[in-house]
Amino acid sequence: MAPPAQSQRSQSPSQPSSKGEVSDLKLQLRQLAGSRAQGTDDSKRELFKKVISYMTIGVNVSSLFSEMVMCSATSDIVLKKMCYLYVGNYAKGNPDLALLTINFLQKDCRDEDPMIRGLALRSLCSLRVTNLVEYLVGPLGLGLKDNNSYVRTVAAIGVLKLYHISASTCIDAEFPSILKNLMLNDPEAQVVANCLSALQEIWSSEASTSEEASREREALLSKPVIYYFLNRIKEFSEWAQCVVLDLVAKYVPSDSNEIFDIMNLLEDRLQHANGAVVLATIKVFLHLTLSMNDVHQQVYERIKAPLLTLVSSGSSEQSYAVLSHLHLLVVRAPILFSSDYKHFYCQYNEPSYVKKLKLEMLTAVANESNTYEIVTELCEYAANVDVPIARESIRAVGKIALQQYDVNAIVDRLLQFLEMEKDYVTAETLVLVKDLLRKYPQWSHDCIAVVGNISSKNVQEPKAKAALIWMLGEYSQDMLDAPYILESLVDNWDDEHSAEVRLHLLTAVLKCFFRRPPETQKALGAALAAGLADFHQDVHDRALFYYRLLQYNVSVAERVVNPPKQAVSVFADTQSSEIKDRIFDEFNSLSVVYQKDLEVQTPYLTQGLKILQPSYMFTDKEHRGPFEFSEELGSLSVGAESADNVVLAQRVEASDNDLLLNISEKEESRGPSNNGSAYSAPLYDSSSISLVVSQTQSELTFPNPALPAHAPQASLAIDDLLGLGFPAALAPAPSPSSPPLKLNARAVLDPATYQRKWKQLPVSLSQECSLSPQGAAALTTPQVLLQHMQSHSIHCIASGGQPPKFFFFAQKAEEPATFFLVECIITSSSKAEIKIKADDQSTSQDFSALFQSALSKFGMS
Amino acid sequence: MAGAASAFFLLDIKGRVLVWRDFRGDVSAVQAERFFTKLIEKEGDPETQDPVVYDNGVTYIFIQHNNIYLMTASRQNCNAASLILFLHRVVDVFKHYFEELEEESLRDNFVVVYELLDEMMDFGYPQYTEAKILSEFIKTDAYRMEVTQRPPMAVTNAVSWRSEGIRYKKNEVFLDVVESVNILVNSNGQIIRSDVVGALKMRTYLSGMPECKLGLNDRVLLEAQGRSAKGKAIDLDDIKFHQCVRLARFENDRTISFIPPDGSFDLMTYRLSTQVKPLIWVEAQVERHSRSRIEIMAKARSQFKERSTATNVEIELPVPSDATNPNVRTSMGSAAYAPENDALLWKIKSFSGGKEYMLRAEFSLPSITAEEAAPERKAPIRVKFEIPYFTVSGIQVRYLKIIEKSGYQALPWVRYITMAGEYELRLV
Repeated sequence: MAPPAQSQRSQSPSQPSSKGEVSDLKLQLRQLAGSRAQGTDDSKRELFKKVISYMTIGVNVSSLFSEMVMCSATSDIVLKKMCYLYVGNYAKGNPDLALLTINFLQKDCRDEDPMIRGLALRSLCSLRVTNLVEYLVGPLGLGLKDNNSYVRTVAAIGVLKLYHISASTCIDAEFPSILKNLMLNDPEAQVVANCLSALQEIWSSEASTSEEASREREALLSKPVIYYFLNRIKEFSEWAQCVVLDLVAKYVPSDSNEIFDIMNLLEDRLQHANGAVVLATIKVFLHLTLSMNDVHQQVYERIKAPLLTLVSSGSSEQSYAVLSHLHLLVVRAPILFSSDYKHFYCQYNEPSYVKKLKLEMLTAVANESNTYEIVTELCEYAANVDVPIARESIRAVGKIALQQYDVNAIVDRLLQFLEMEKDYVTAETLVLVKDLLRKYPQWSHDCIAVVGNISSKNVQEPKAKAALIWMLGEYSQDMLDAPYILESLVDNWDDEHSAEVRLHLLTAVLKCFFRRPPETQKALGAALAAGLADFHQDVHDRALFYYRLLQYNVSVAERVVNPPKQAVSVFADTQSSEIKDRIFDEFNSLSVVYQKDLEVQTPYLTQGLKILQPSYMFTDKEHRGPFEFSEELGSLSVGAESADNVVLAQRVEASDNDLLLNISEKEESRGPSNNGSAYSAPLYDSSSISLVVSQTQSELTFPNPALPAHAPQASLAIDDLLGLGFPAALAPAPSPSSPPLKLNARAVLDPATYQRKWKQLPVSLSQECSLSPQGAAALTTPQVLLQHMQSHSIHCIASGGQPPKFFFFAQKAEEPATFFLVECIITSSSKAEIKIKADDQSTSQDFSALFQSALSKFGMS
Repeated sequence: MAGAASAFFLLDIKGRVLVWRDFRGDVSAVQAERFFTKLIEKEGDPETQDPVVYDNGVTYIFIQHNNIYLMTASRQNCNAASLILFLHRVVDVFKHYFEELEEESLRDNFVVVYELLDEMMDFGYPQYTEAKILSEFIKTDAYRMEVTQRPPMAVTNAVSWRSEGIRYKKNEVFLDVVESVNILVNSNGQIIRSDVVGALKMRTYLSGMPECKLGLNDRVLLEAQGRSAKGKAIDLDDIKFHQCVRLARFENDRTISFIPPDGSFDLMTYRLSTQVKPLIWVEAQVERHSRSRIEIMAKARSQFKERSTATNVEIELPVPSDATNPNVRTSMGSAAYAPENDALLWKIKSFSGGKEYMLRAEFSLPSITAEEAAPERKAPIRVKFEIPYFTVSGIQVRYLKIIEKSGYQALPWVRYITMAGEYELRLV
């Protein structure tokens, strides 16, 4: 007979010696199958347990299938459960056995014990055997009507399982409508919650193909349904409350009274012990008050305490998740946590993933009043804890320095780091000092004095070495030894493994040469020779380029290599505000946690985004706006396929809310004379502008005969030189003889077509251009710019958002079918990012020039 | 939508799958195991240890408990915070069932583990995670289940955390007010951060459906009742309650009323961010006499009233990792060298208020050091202690009323204790 429980304990980790064990089990099961003797169930249980243990540790016990099923004719629940587990595991691989299983489970679905009915139904729906779905419909239908709530809970999820196996069977059986009915009427909260989860999933995925489903999904967000859930919210389990709150966050209340009512009702949820409920409530609050600026600020105040508690209590994993959210919030409302920065000080024992986020928080909350304390604390970490965190701390100090106006004290700190004489500290600091100098050239004297004392032999990390070399080149006139240090570096050319360092070395030597020719000449010669012989293509090319450049004309070479530099005001790696807005919309989801990954690992980003953003992420928003127009703009993002479009869709989607408000205002102000979809403009001949543009272009054209085809514009040549690739070589160069581009001043394009085109066309040009200071000052309302651009035959179709964003279009005068579409974001007071899409790619360069010149004239008149 | 998990895994310390539940069939155990073992191999690189990791279209969220990893895998944009909490809740449930959750206890209880997982999550959506409720229909000892099992009836009534028909001979309630003090002192002796996290931990052994009412010396409440709060009332930041507490009622009149779950639970947690004076102050001076000898002199002072006594005081003084031959003298308690933590552990069983004790220790250092020595980690001094009958916040339970319709008398036992949480003092 079966061995006692103790022996199983010693057996379970070990594999059964041979097939003999399994066949032995088979024999014993067979003996028990027919037996009705007392204590049979106990013996069966022991055998079953053994089988399950084998199954779990990966022994194939599928040969026992029929014996297991035979033995399970019992009222003992544990035996049943074990049997369900067993058949669930093996049925999928064995279609023959699956049919057997289904009969057996179907029978149990009609058992008098509700527990067995529920369990059998759950197992039945979990089988995932496609050709047997028809057997699911009957039991599921009965299960949904069962008088026991446990069975209904299981059945509700069962419907969703069926939908995933065969959507059509599920829809044909009209299960969604039964679920809906159940959701709105069932007395048991867990049944209601499961119905909601199931319906959300089903309708979201059906919505793309079925009108009805998308209507139904919208109906979930209707006032009566939302109120129904809100009134019952206290009955729900903590997890179900999260689901409900997530639904409520998407609801758009009709007026502010409603918003306050909902917030009052949910206020106490902020005191719930489960952090997930608290976060979900916070999401509701934030989203409800998006349009009410002052209340939104009050909400931030209200949620501060619960959030800080969540960070400092509970598991470190929870801190990690909450800190990710805090980081998102702090970027939107930096002032909010600026007095609570001490909550983000690191504990010695915290895992480094928490520490890292805390460092990011400290960077984000730093402002004039607390910088001193924060930087002091960060310096503590730089000396104290483990190396990766020390590095992060130094980087954090640097980031704070880059975002502050008063960097005096911080620069001193950084320079102290250099005196600590720890290799990794020096390395990190050098990189930072370099960035700092690019933004605040006025500090060069203080920094250079210290940097000059660092022996290049102590710097091994490529990034740090490159930074040091850059400074040697850039400030060679201030550093006495610069030419000689560079020379010794050139002498060790072959020992330098990093191509990045060698590239920098070439440039630095050349820069130094222009400032101190006699001292550097030898080093330059050696560097060019070494560079030309270099096996790395980029290094070789750059050396050759410099060589030819010097050969051609030394003063041109100086202009190229040593142009007067402007301080960098904003570094490009700062995340764009649209992406942040998007992540905000996805509050309480993985998007928030991943924000860093999305930023850093770009190749992974596009792939990740596609997977991470199932369709509902985009389509949710379709229902928000009360305006007809909004739906169209919102749907622009639906079904975006290529990576390019995904990013684009995000941007559009992120700010469409803001855009919409603006459009509606505009529509109102325009009155009935205009139908709101197309605007007319006075005729304007734009040829004069384009002429000017083409002239400036030809002036800039690089005069070196060796490179004419590849470098039509000096700026591109410099890009090239910096090893940034060959954009000019790939793009068709605009031929200088092409006729000037003329735009139709009365261009008309309806929004739907605009969206279609925007979705279809690839981005043909994407660049940054500048806005005159007068223009920036004049940009008090978007309308001013719209009128200005309209006078240049460039029309606006939508605008709004913060930072201000515009969608323009223009039509070619001779070819009415050729449109140019532009997305223009005013990123700072003097910069604008533009993205151009064109029906005719070849003219997009011309159009870009025209557009930029129009933009730069803004505010001049 | 919150998003659903695709599968749930229990893995051993090497990342091999012990038990798993597949909910959606889109993440295989092989795939997860391959990913996770790779992750574990890379341990030491903190970059990879985030509890939320993305790999090849799947998001893995995991936590560690003893020698077990609990992990969910999902292909949806799910709610990370909620899943992390769910994993912790699973740990609690397993602990309730097996005393301790570790590989051994899992291997011994495969069947119960499967049973529990089945009820805790269905198709990736969390279901019932209250150990009390689950234990009503999933029993560990199969032999004792003579009675037919009922479906979870507790979930069908309004009080989901308590089932009817509980009986005790002696009705008792134990309430522990536990406050832990987190403090961070920098090397200049300044307190740079301090806060107190408090919890009201309850153990109830009560029959029937008792209605409980708890009164605290909460300033808002006292003022609302028109009583003058003479220095005794306290302000609590960010109070959180167990789901049994009627939150609406608390919002209205600050009464804490509830029907408690059976057994132990945290009734309420709170936080105080007011500046706290360090209850135990430790100063240490480290002197390197020569290249081969290091001397540590430490002074510990208790800064609370004399009538209180701190017990089980443990002061962890960091020492260099290559120190040997400890020679320690203390004016109180005992000190032992713990080379595994690179620390000297000074234990004082009983430390009354207003006292000061000294420690002097000497270590030898190897006279030859590796040239490429790893940078020294300057660890802080860490202190552990417990002070019974004392709270930092001054919170007091004014009453705990228990009313049940059968009218029994229940005994409430209230206890206060303050302990050290993250208590760190940085060395000079």
